[in-house]
Amino acid sequence: MAGFASGEFPALGYGVGLRPPHYGHVLETRPTVDWFEVISENFLVAGGRPLDVLTRVRADYPIVLHGVSLSIGSVDPLDRDYLARLRALAERIEPAWISDHLCWSGVGGHMVHDLLPLPYSEEALAHVAERVARVQDALRRRIALENVSSYLRFGESALSEWDFLAALAARADCAILLDVNNVYVSAFNHRFDVGDYLSGVPVERVAQFHLAGHSDHGTHLLDTHDHPVCDEVWALYARAVQRFGTLPTLIEWDDHIPAFDTLHAEARRACAVAARARRDDDAGRNAAAAVAADHRA
Amino acid sequence: MLAETQRLLWRLITAPEGVAAALAGDDTRGGGLRAALTRSVRGDDRLDAAQRVDIYANMYFFRILDVLKEDYPATLALLGEVGFHNLITDYLLAHPPAHFSVREAGRHVPEFLAAHAAADAHPCAPDLARYERALNDAFDAADAPVLTAAALAAVAPEAWPELRFALHPSVRLIECGWPVDALRAAADRGETVADLLSAPTRLCVWRHELAVFHRHLDALEFVALADVERGATFAEVCAAASELNAADASRQVADALVGWLERGWLRGDS
Repeated sequence: MAGFASGEFPALGYGVGLRPPHYGHVLETRPTVDWFEVISENFLVAGGRPLDVLTRVRADYPIVLHGVSLSIGSVDPLDRDYLARLRALAERIEPAWISDHLCWSGVGGHMVHDLLPLPYSEEALAHVAERVARVQDALRRRIALENVSSYLRFGESALSEWDFLAALAARADCAILLDVNNVYVSAFNHRFDVGDYLSGVPVERVAQFHLAGHSDHGTHLLDTHDHPVCDEVWALYARAVQRFGTLPTLIEWDDHIPAFDTLHAEARRACAVAARARRDDDAGRNAAAAVAADHRA
Repeated sequence: MLAETQRLLWRLITAPEGVAAALAGDDTRGGGLRAALTRSVRGDDRLDAAQRVDIYANMYFFRILDVLKEDYPATLALLGEVGFHNLITDYLLAHPPAHFSVREAGRHVPEFLAAHAAADAHPCAPDLARYERALNDAFDAADAPVLTAAALAAVAPEAWPELRFALHPSVRLIECGWPVDALRAAADRGETVADLLSAPTRLCVWRHELAVFHRHLDALEFVALADVERGATFAEVCAAASELNAADASRQVADALVGWLERGWLRGDS
């Protein structure tokens, strides 16, 4: 495929999730961070401070709307009210793009307010692909869907998660937000190889990376967003950059939120890790080319 | 099959005593819950299927509990950690979240609390929760222009009797039996929150620019504002007020109106 249209997923650089404890700091000091991602639902309100803050931040920074309630995999009908409000927010804020998760969040008219994994079956694939197409029509744009951390697998899964993600992106013509930490967490929890995951995800479909911290519960890793990014996830991020290229990257931190400077430093580190990964990749390619040239000579 | 899987997980994740207890209870009734779980979810040597679902069950409860603690901090302080935890356990069974925003998860806490055993020990708790919900609602209610004194001055005197004011979208009126705002103020200062002596209390909660405020009202002002909220004409507002205070009602309503304009309680034309 040809990849994304020009301007669909612009090269924003290295951003951080904007959370309420940092509103004042960001508005007062205008830090040099490249862009912000916000949780869409926090701004699907009628008025008051949240929308005021977002409007003022948007005046100076690119914003990405990252949702947690689309529930794209649920067997419930799509929430038309939610989509209408999200579209209205997008018209007001003009986000660089809109993303949500490959998951389901409720059934029977009720919400768990969590990101539950799907069975990776042909039935689920057909169901989700059709809904993604309808959401993209309603929002009048391509969306990016994120791989979630998961703690259970289903007996009815016939595909690997990465094969499901690749097939969904192709069938629904959507983008992938690759959460590197979630790949790492789920690989531990389900004992798959992170290399298999990365090589199974189509390069031309990935629009963005997420990085975050997790916590270790011995029997499983939990995607808690309450720690710095760990060394293993930085290493996996470098591999992801080598495969997918230098893409907009975002640091998420949602609990025990540190000072803004700590978060900003993580974004700068992502920039440095990505640059080094590209240099190493280029050096590797050059060395390989030199060996091949010697071999031919 | 997808629908069946999702319904199974919903049932187990929201089981009030946890997944293991739900399975054990179902076993004694001869239900097929455990067999359905075994068919649906793969366990392994680290965690069996029930333990894996239990990770989600814990996150479900504690995520919403944390949100409701933020929404109702003084109610939490009054009931205590255990009392509030038990209240929310019961609440979520009666009112599982049904809105895309977790901010709406606690919408029905005040009414549920009024009929809950926790209110027997803390009779002012439902009114306190009502007040805290009003603070939350005012915080992100719709923005709207406020009616200015200048705009009102332009209204011809003969038009006043039929004039219908509208409250600003952030305004919430609360009539209750305890001065519950004192409890929230104590909680905000980190002080002890204890039960109050009852006292008739009328409160107006509103947002000015981006900050939320509250103010005590006397009986006449409360009745007048409640009439405005119901869409009464100014003549009807004055008539209702005069039933409370025949001698001086019109002047008191006029005085109150000055304050409403100053504080931005009335909505202007958009």
